[in-house]
Amino acid sequence: MAEYDADSLEALIVGGHRSLRPEAAATPRFKPGDRVRARNIHPLGHTRLPRYARGREGVITRIHGPHVFPDSNAMGRGEDPRILYSVRFEGRALWDAAAGPRDCLHLDLWEPYLEPVPDGAR
Amino acid sequence: MDGIHDLGGMEGFGPIEREADEPVFHHDWERRAFAHEFVIGANLDEGRHAIERLDPVTYLTTSYYERWHLSHEMLLIEKGVLTAEEIEARVAKLKREGG
Repeated sequence: MAEYDADSLEALIVGGHRSLRPEAAATPRFKPGDRVRARNIHPLGHTRLPRYARGREGVITRIHGPHVFPDSNAMGRGEDPRILYSVRFEGRALWDAAAGPRDCLHLDLWEPYLEPVPDGAR
Repeated sequence: MDGIHDLGGMEGFGPIEREADEPVFHHDWERRAFAHEFVIGANLDEGRHAIERLDPVTYLTTSYYERWHLSHEMLLIEKGVLTAEEIEARVAKLKREGG
């Protein structure tokens, strides 16, 4: 558990929580442009993969680097940093015709949430 | 967990209230609830998961900082810092004294 003094606490509140762990060397499995599918997971514990994205396909747009993995950290199993990506989903892939044709949504998703979509499987 | 917190895509809650010059805190006790987040000995993700574990009716009928406060009570009990009886006794005492 972190300990704070007045200065470090103010920095946290003003600057925001930092979950980047650059020292956690890890080779990203995906690169920008790769097509991925959010896994259809239903863990009993914490996850930051929203239900509406599970099973849906999107495209990697950015690699954020290793970040604290909430699914582990929330459950008292340590920070276990994993690669975090920005993934673009087309609005129609999530909400069908209820989405505008040009709508899209970017979700920050950790590598264990994602599986590759092979070419030709689209 | 597939809990009530995962509201993305759900409908029927009515329009979002927009306040002009919305204050950071609406009540003085919310300042304390905010500060407690940093001293109860739980990490950010444990705090979020505690809020997810509030019962669904409580989750939907409490305010933002009420949920923070209830999650702090839950975590302090689970971590063995306080007991539910101690919290109830303190609340009863403050009610008697008008605190």
